[in-house]
Amino acid sequence: MTVREQLPTGQRSSGPRSTTEGGVPTPPSAARRRRTTGSWRSRLEIAVLTGPALAVFLLFVIFPVVAAAYYGFFRWAGYGVPTQFVGLQNYVTILQDPTFLAALGHNGVIVVLSLVLQGPIAILLALLLNRKMRGQTLIRVLIFIPYVISEVVVGTGWSLILQTTGALNSALQAVGLGALKVDWLANPDVAIWTLMGIITWKYVGFAVILFLAGLQGIPEELTEAASIDGASFWQIQRRITLPLLGPTIRIWAFLSVIGALQLFDLVYIIWGQYVASTAGTSTMATYMVVNGRNAGSYGYGNAVAVVLFLVSLIVALLYQRVVLRRDTEGALTGKGR
Amino acid sequence: MRPSRLIAASAVLLASAAALTGCSGSGGSSDGASMTLWQNSTTGPGLQFWKDAAKSFEKANPGVTIDVQTVQNEDFDGKLQTAMNSGDAPDIFLQRGGGKLQAMVEAGQVKDITDGVTAATKKVVPAASLGAESLDGKVYAMPLSVLPSGIWYSKDLFEEAGIEGTPTTLDELNADIAKLKAKDIAPVALGAKDAWPAAHWYYNFALRECAPAALEKAAKSKSFDDPCWLKAGQDLQAFSDTKPFNQGFLTTAAQQGAGSSAGLVANHKAAMELMGAWDPGVIASLTKDEKPLPDLGWFPFPEITGGAGKPGSILGGVDGYSCSQAAPPQCVDFLNYIATTKEQTAYYKAYNSPPVNTEAQTAVTEPYLKDVVATYNKAPFVSQWLDTVYGQNVGNALNVGVVNLLAGKSDAAGIVKTTNDAAKKG
Repeated sequence: MTVREQLPTGQRSSGPRSTTEGGVPTPPSAARRRRTTGSWRSRLEIAVLTGPALAVFLLFVIFPVVAAAYYGFFRWAGYGVPTQFVGLQNYVTILQDPTFLAALGHNGVIVVLSLVLQGPIAILLALLLNRKMRGQTLIRVLIFIPYVISEVVVGTGWSLILQTTGALNSALQAVGLGALKVDWLANPDVAIWTLMGIITWKYVGFAVILFLAGLQGIPEELTEAASIDGASFWQIQRRITLPLLGPTIRIWAFLSVIGALQLFDLVYIIWGQYVASTAGTSTMATYMVVNGRNAGSYGYGNAVAVVLFLVSLIVALLYQRVVLRRDTEGALTGKGR
Repeated sequence: MRPSRLIAASAVLLASAAALTGCSGSGGSSDGASMTLWQNSTTGPGLQFWKDAAKSFEKANPGVTIDVQTVQNEDFDGKLQTAMNSGDAPDIFLQRGGGKLQAMVEAGQVKDITDGVTAATKKVVPAASLGAESLDGKVYAMPLSVLPSGIWYSKDLFEEAGIEGTPTTLDELNADIAKLKAKDIAPVALGAKDAWPAAHWYYNFALRECAPAALEKAAKSKSFDDPCWLKAGQDLQAFSDTKPFNQGFLTTAAQQGAGSSAGLVANHKAAMELMGAWDPGVIASLTKDEKPLPDLGWFPFPEITGGAGKPGSILGGVDGYSCSQAAPPQCVDFLNYIATTKEQTAYYKAYNSPPVNTEAQTAVTEPYLKDVVATYNKAPFVSQWLDTVYGQNVGNALNVGVVNLLAGKSDAAGIVKTTNDAAKKG
C-alpha cells in the first residue's frame, strides 16, 4: 500500500517530462517547496489536517495488525489476557494442516480462474459496449447490477436456486434435461465451479465498467488514423486498443487477485459455517473464522489472520514490483482524466 | 470554539459513562441490586417467560431490578466473550456448559454457586442435572431444561409406509428406512450444513460403542485413541451407505425455513429427524399453520449389538443459566427462583421442552415429551453433547469430520484424525 502511494510522488518530478500533455505541474511543485521549507505554520497545518486520519489509520489498521501478530503467539480461548505462550507453534500447525493447505489451494484456483474467466468476457463486453448502439445504457446497467447487489442477497439467492431440489434442477427436469441435474453446491467436484460461475456473474460488471473507463481514455484519432491506413476492426483492437488498455487491465487484475485472496462472504453465505471445506470451496478467510472464532481458538485464529495478511501482502508487493512497475504512473496518475 | 466545545462535551460523556459503570459495579453492596440478564429468545413466549420471571422476582424482592436483554443466539457467545473481557459481563446469562464453561471458569468469570443452591432446589432438581453444570464438584449454573437426543418422526408417514411400532434396534431402523424408501418417502431429514446435526448421529453411535469411562477419559485427554471411536465411525459409515438421508442433505440447514431438516419433517417431506428435545418447538414454528405437528412422535436412538455402552444411555444437553463472578448475591437467589416448580412449569409451557424440575415434569401433557422425560429419567448414563463436552475447537472439528465422512470425502479413521489434530489448535 505504501509503495503505491510513494511511487507517484517519488516520480512526480520526472512525470511532466515523460507525459506529453502535462505542461502545468511546475507552479504547484514550486509552491510546495516554498511552503515546506518555509514556515512552521504549514507544518502545523499538515499535522492538524492529517492527524485525525493518521490516528484512525494507526488505531484501526496498524494496531489490529500488530495485536493479531501478538495474539498469534498464544494459545488463547479469548477469555481474559492470553497467558499460554506457544511461540511459533500455531504457525507450524497452520502450515501442516491439510484443511488450510486445501483452502489455500482453493484461493489459488479462484485467483487464476477469476482472471481467466472474467478478463476475456469483460474485455469483449467492454469493446462491444464502447461502440455506439441502441440500448447501450440499458445493457451497461444490466451488466453492472449484479455487482451492486449485496453479497448476502446474491449468496442466499443462488443457494436457493442451486439446491439439490432447487429451481435450477427442477427447471432442468421440467424441460427434459433431467440427465444434467447435478448437486451444484454439495458435490465436491462441482462446487468450486459453481462458485466460480457465481463470482464471474457478480464481478464481471465491475471489470466491464473499469475497461469502459479505460477505453474512453484512448484517443479516437489513433483508431481513425489506423482505419484510414486500412486496418480492420480486429487489427485495430489488437494493435491499438488492447495495448493502450493495458494499464487498466493490469490494475483490474490486481484488484481481482486481492479480492480473490480474501474471498469470504459468498462462500460463508452459501456453504454456511461448516461445510465449505467438505464441498471444496473453503478459503483462507473462511478457514480463519471456522478455526478461530467459531472454534473459540482465538490465538490460532489470529495466527491464521497473520498468514492471510502476509500472503496478500507478498502477492501485492510482488505484483506492484513486477507487473505494475512499468505503468503505475500512467495507470494511477493519468487515468482520472 | 467549536472543536473545544465538542471535546468538552465528549469529556463529560466519558465521565458520566465512567460514573455509570462505577455505579452498577457497587450496586451489590447495598440492599437493592440491579442486574442484567442475557437470554437468546428474540420473540414470542420465550422472551415473555424471562420478562415475567424478572417481574415477579422483583416484586418478591423489593429493591432488586432485573433488566432482561435479548441477544440473538448466533451472536450470543461472541458478545458474551467481549463483554467479559471488557469487565462488563451481564450478571445472569445463558450457559452453554462443557468446554465453554471450563474456559469461563479458568478465566474467573463465572460464580461458583455450589453453596447457593438451596435445599428446596435440590429437592426438585436431580443431582444428575446439577452435575451437568458442574466442574470438579462445583456447580456453576442452574439447569433449567433437559434436552435429550432422540428420533422425532411423523406417525402418519410411518403408517403410510406400513411400519408398526417404533424401531428399538439398528436393524429394525434400517428395515423401516427401506419400507419408507419403497413408498418414495425421504426417510431421514438431516441438516448437515450446520454440521452438528450430522454429528449427532456419530455421538449417538459413540454413546452405544464407548463405555462411559472411555467418553470421560477423552474429555480429559482430548485424545480419541480408544478403538470405540473408530467403531462408531464405521457404524455411521455403514448406516450412511444405505443412503437414509434426504437428497442434498449436505446443503440442508437444520432450523431455518421449510427447506431445513426440521421444516422437512414439519411439512411431511421426510419421516424422521435425529435431534434434541427442542425440536417440537422448532418443528411447530415451521408447519404451515405454525401449530405443533399433530402426528409427531419420538423414540430413543436404537440399540446396537456388541457395543460397550450401557443400553438405555442417552445423549442430551442441559440448558442452564450462570451468574458472572461480579454479580450481586441476589443473582443466586434468582437462579433458585427460576428452578421452582411454578417457574419451571411456565418455562416448559413457553419453550415446549421438558423442564428439569421433577415436579414440573408432571405438568407435561404432550405424549412425545412424556416419552422423552420417562426415557431420560430411566437412563443409566447421560452424556452431554460431545461437541460441548470436548470444547468448541475439538467439537467443531469432530462435527466437520462427520460431515466429511457423510460426503464421502473421508472415513471413520478420518474423524479420529481431524479430532486429534484440532486439539493442537487451541
